[in-house]
Amino acid sequence: MIELRNVTKKFGNFTAVDGISLTVPAGEFFGFLGPNGAGKTTTIKMMAGLFAPTGGEILINGFDVVQNPIQAKSFTSYVPDQPFLYDKLTGREFLYFIGGLYKMEKKEVARKIVEVIEHFEIGEWVDKRTEDYSQGMRQRVTIAAALVHEPKVLIIDEPMVGLDPRSAKIVRETLHKMAGSGVSIFMSTHSLPMAEELCDRVGFIKDGRLVFLGTQENLQAYKQKYDGKFESVFLELTK
Amino acid sequence: METFFHILRYKILSFLKTTFDRKAVTAVRGIGSLVVFGGFALSAYVLSFAITKYLVPKVGLAVFHHLVSMMLFVLFVSVNMGNIIVSYATLYKSPEVGYLFTKPVSFEQIFVLKFLDNFLYSSTTFFLLVFMALLGYGTYVQYQWYTYIILLMFVFTPFLFLSACLGVLILMSLVKVASRVGFRKVVAGLSVVYIAAIALFFKFSSPITMLEGASKLRLGEESAFDVFQIPALALLPNTIASTVLFHLSSGHILDSFLSAAILFLMTTAMFAVVLYVGRKYYYRTWLMTFEFQARSNTVEAGRKVKKFDFRTESRLPAQMEVLVKKEYFLFRREASQWLHLALMLVLVAVFAASIVNVNLRLRVTEVQTLGYLILYAFGGFLSCSLALRFVFPAISLEGNSFWTQLSAPLNMKKPYFLKFALGFVLVLAPALLVAVFSNIPFVRISQRRPLLLYFGVFSAVWVSVTLVSLNLGLGSFFANYKEKNPIRLASSQGATLTFLMSLVYLFALVSVFIIPLTEYFQSLFQILPFDMSAIVAPGTTLYMLSAALSVFALMIGYRSLQRDF
Repeated sequence: MIELRNVTKKFGNFTAVDGISLTVPAGEFFGFLGPNGAGKTTTIKMMAGLFAPTGGEILINGFDVVQNPIQAKSFTSYVPDQPFLYDKLTGREFLYFIGGLYKMEKKEVARKIVEVIEHFEIGEWVDKRTEDYSQGMRQRVTIAAALVHEPKVLIIDEPMVGLDPRSAKIVRETLHKMAGSGVSIFMSTHSLPMAEELCDRVGFIKDGRLVFLGTQENLQAYKQKYDGKFESVFLELTK
Repeated sequence: METFFHILRYKILSFLKTTFDRKAVTAVRGIGSLVVFGGFALSAYVLSFAITKYLVPKVGLAVFHHLVSMMLFVLFVSVNMGNIIVSYATLYKSPEVGYLFTKPVSFEQIFVLKFLDNFLYSSTTFFLLVFMALLGYGTYVQYQWYTYIILLMFVFTPFLFLSACLGVLILMSLVKVASRVGFRKVVAGLSVVYIAAIALFFKFSSPITMLEGASKLRLGEESAFDVFQIPALALLPNTIASTVLFHLSSGHILDSFLSAAILFLMTTAMFAVVLYVGRKYYYRTWLMTFEFQARSNTVEAGRKVKKFDFRTESRLPAQMEVLVKKEYFLFRREASQWLHLALMLVLVAVFAASIVNVNLRLRVTEVQTLGYLILYAFGGFLSCSLALRFVFPAISLEGNSFWTQLSAPLNMKKPYFLKFALGFVLVLAPALLVAVFSNIPFVRISQRRPLLLYFGVFSAVWVSVTLVSLNLGLGSFFANYKEKNPIRLASSQGATLTFLMSLVYLFALVSVFIIPLTEYFQSLFQILPFDMSAIVAPGTTLYMLSAALSVFALMIGYRSLQRDF
């Protein structure tokens, strides 16, 4: 479960995230939407422990990300918007590296790696060093790495960037299945069809503030106020 | 040329905007840099003046300038080797080059831009050092103010530029040759050539032989200068530069002018060759580097399970195991890292092997103290350089991939401690080697009393701890995760500041031990008892201060890891 309580982030005089509060219970797929520069990535980076909040609290399965970072992070997997990998490691070595950071037993890591390599269809090139990977290949390895330690919370920033249609389909199905098995998923995306297809609830952020928070049903009702299109809701809310 | 200056203009604008923004942090760093740079400049000036004042009356102007020539040789080789390695990153690995190749800009212009970028970036500190040393020396020999400007423009700039030109020429030849015979063979060949060149130079011009010869022959300055001039080395840039200085100090302006003209012409000719080679081969060799990468990165190689591999079991706890393995593979697979380390270690080994058999015949307190302190300072300088080159960039080199560790359930003290431990081993091993080997001749003249050896070894350990702490801490404080090039990181503003602080520390260390060591050699030669407290008391105080400095630097660095990523 993810809980954000009045979370604020300031950079000097600029407020990037302004008092956001929301809860994502276990097994919920939450979509986080908003225009460029609205504060999505900043919020996600605070949840992943990469930014320290200026105010408020972020709890992952009851553990404060700032006060008890190790416990909080042990439940979490984070997929950044830019899939940065260690250039001089192979994809497989990167997966082992991540497994080790989560203190997994060697045999268990090996088993999970075989599984994710097969699942994401990356076996053909996973033993090459990542310096020669395309954006999509990097993205697939990053998402595969996020699943190695079987997280309870998945924080994922723009997962579809650079993916070909086949890989995108695999990722969509995987995320859907994970939510079904009780994993809390917090996903930032610009893809409105994906949010509509996968998310149980969505939140819209604009200028650091949450301007809409509701279920698919709320969203459908909201859509009817306009021309029935999700895109129109997005444009209206982020105007 | 319009395109060239257009790009240059934007490069300068970009540099100015990133260096002089209006943030308070930048202002504080700027003031800090100014204070440290100022302190360093002043120290270099004072040291240069003091050494000149001490040595010239003792050894004479002629021998002094031959010693200067040897120091300039070391400087020339350092700049040259530095340029070979830095150029590889700037000319062949920079994303900017790939971008510019897609634009209607000639290869030659891109080459010159990156070459100048490289030269200015890697030689700024050397310029400052040379200028301040020249100022200290010039004060003693009473130069006019305009002499410094002339010397800088027509002697030392061409001197450093020549070294850089030679570096780039060697690099391009290496890339071409490596495409036929393989990268490792070429690197091994280059190392052998460098070692042979250095060994030959010091075989022909041994400072000790020269000092002994000078004390026996008692020649006039001019004759002494000619006697110790080795014809085979007469046309080396360091010999020419020191000849210019010697003639100027002796009042022979015309001779000095002629030597400067030779150096200037050599540099101009070398630059013309560099331009020609750059125009003809830069783009071709740039493409070759991609072939190297493709050849060395294959699925088959990655599938082989080696003894030390992420897939093999380890006794270490899981987190530490993967951190150690990651450090190892990132270092081993980055040619600029292991290559630079290998070259530095080979030079250390050559130095250690040559110093161990030195016969210290002159039983003169001042000469022995000075000799000892020079070797002690050399060992310290080596540790400073190693720490700067390999420890300072350690945190920055995590790069944008650092998110993996920062978002994982990992106590950041673990990777931080690991980087400290690895850096410590890397700096300590050569420091110990130099400490032991450089102390052996002194132990020999001390009737095998090992006091100086113990002192050297203890210092090597302590200095390594301090320098690694300083470089790791400040490297974390000045971390730049966007820069992937370790050499550029090691010559950034923060790195230069750290290096200067390390040198100030080293200077303090050397200064503190001048009197105790003088007393030690005095007692040795006059067969008097030596009071150990003379060396223990200042040593303890200094090492306590070093410990405080280490803890402070490590804490700053650790706190910097908690900053927003």
